[in-house]
Order: sequence, then structure tokens, then C-alpha cells
Amino acid sequence: MTKEKQEDDHNKIVFVSGGSRGIGAGIALDLAAAGYDIWLNYRSSTEAAHGVQAKIEEMGRSCLLLPFDVSDGVAATKALEPLLARVVPYGMVHNAGVARDNIMPLMHRKEWDRVIDVNLNSFFILGRLFAKMMLTKRRGRIISIASISGQTGQAGQANYAAAKGGLIAASKSLARELGRRNVLVNVVSPGLIDTGMIEDLPLDKLLPLIPLGRVGTVEEISGVVRFLLSREANYITGQVIGVNGGMYM
Amino acid sequence: METTKAKLKEILVNDLKLQGITPEEIGDTEPLFGEGLGLDSLDAVELVVLIQKYFDVQISDMEEGKVAFVSIESLAQYILDHKD
Repeated sequence: MTKEKQEDDHNKIVFVSGGSRGIGAGIALDLAAAGYDIWLNYRSSTEAAHGVQAKIEEMGRSCLLLPFDVSDGVAATKALEPLLARVVPYGMVHNAGVARDNIMPLMHRKEWDRVIDVNLNSFFILGRLFAKMMLTKRRGRIISIASISGQTGQAGQANYAAAKGGLIAASKSLARELGRRNVLVNVVSPGLIDTGMIEDLPLDKLLPLIPLGRVGTVEEISGVVRFLLSREANYITGQVIGVNGGMYM
Repeated sequence: METTKAKLKEILVNDLKLQGITPEEIGDTEPLFGEGLGLDSLDAVELVVLIQKYFDVQISDMEEGKVAFVSIESLAQYILDHKD
């Protein structure tokens, strides 16, 4: 059996960064349920990552755990390059992110840098590794998980908004670069989603700003990611799909 | 040298999927980019990956790579110079 043939026989693989908790875990589980094998990246939530892995394996899919800090180019390359030389995943979902909220006049440089590093520089690191290999296959999907903050700006989130806005622009640029090779790049931009990330927000003040009058669920994000990986999305690239209940139009 | 050049031509046609040309028709000194074979920057990236795959030679510095990415001749020379 040739190498190419072997690869075709694999279940389609999707890499998910920041996949141990929140939206990332939801995406990994949803995609596994849809028949994808998962490469699950996380940084420190080992227990949570093992939990996701166990659930995916219960579904009869495989889940390869890839613990590394997405902002660490050396670590990412060391973990991924040997794997990518053997098999190139069909999809790459860049979901890893952190927030360090503070109004900008009071923001520390390290709060700015950490958020840019984990949300945006990581896309450069991972995107380069995956894009290079996907274009040789002439197929692939790259999906960035951004944020409504990156589209509208947000008081207290200059760092996060800048990183997510940058992620949107970088994803569109990559979409233009890779289109000719049938590698599609899109962005899913969540509004307020029911995860740990919105625990401390004053929801009573925010809900009136959302036409649908409620926060979104993780499934409402992962469903769009699943669609963007599907054949039905073959002609969609460079788009930002807002999943925000109408909070930003 | 000859086998390396022949293999490279095969890679251009089979892996890079150059249209309307056979490996035998590619000249050793024909420019790879622009008016020659018409490769573009994405082809260059692909070629870097393919050269690593088939020859185990890494071109990590594209400045250095520039010397190599001129023709089949220069690529083959680069590969032979950098093979262990």
C-alpha cells in the first residue's frame, strides 16, 4: 500500500489548539462525534485534556494529546513537525486563547504581550507549520476562533481585541495566499458564549445588547466549525462568521 | 548528479503537477520561476517540503535557498552539497 493510499484510508484528522476546556473542548468533542480523529493541544489542563480524550475514545475515534504552549514556537515545532511529516490533518482549528483584561492606561506590558502571544503569535507559529504541509496536499481547512471584541473593540480588552482583530486579518491574508491550493481559511467569531470566560461579566447589563437576549452555547460555535470543515463549505474562504446572537452585525 | 536532476524533474511534474510538460522536456538550466517553468512562491514552499521528503535536505533559510532555486542544475548541486 502506498503512503498516499494509507493517508486516504485514515479518518480525517483535525488539530484543535486549546482543546482541553471551554469552546475548544466542545469543538473537539463535536468533531469526534462527526467522525473526525482529533489532535488535541492544551497547555496545562492535563486532567481536563485526558477527560476529553476519554470521551472521544468512547466514541470510537482517536485523540492524540499534544501538550505545549502555542506561543512557544520551538515547542510547537518539536511536537508537530515529526507528526506532519507523516500525516497532514485535514483541518486545523486555532482556538487557544487567553484574556488579561485591564483598561489600557493601567495595563501592564506583560498583560499586553501575553495576550498577543497566546492568541495571535500562536497563529503565525501554527499556521506556518500546517499551511506549508496542507498546500502540498492541495486540500485543507484552517479555522480561527476569534471574538466579537476583535471586530468591535472592547473597553478593558485592548490587548485581546487587538489580538483577535489581528487574527482575523491574518486569517484573511492566509486565505488569499492559499486559495489557489484549495486550502480554505475562515474565522468563527463568537459573541458571549457560556464558558468560564464570561463568568465574571455583568450579564444583566450585557443581555439587553444581544438581540437574541441570551448568551450562546458551545454547541452553537462547534456546529459552525463542523460546517466549515464540511463539503458544503467548499466555496467559503476568507470569511468571518459571527456567532453572537446579533450582538454585532 | 544526473539521478538527482532526473528525480527533481520527476518531482516537478508528479508532485508540483506542472501542466503540459514531461520530465524529459525540462532543461537543466531552464529558470524555475517567472518566464522559465513559471513556478510561483507557493511552489517554492512546496519544493522545500518535497526536497526534505525525498532527499532529506533541509532548506530553512530562503536567502540561502535563493542560490538553489534558480534551475534544476543549481537545485541538484545544492542537494548534493548539503546531503550528509
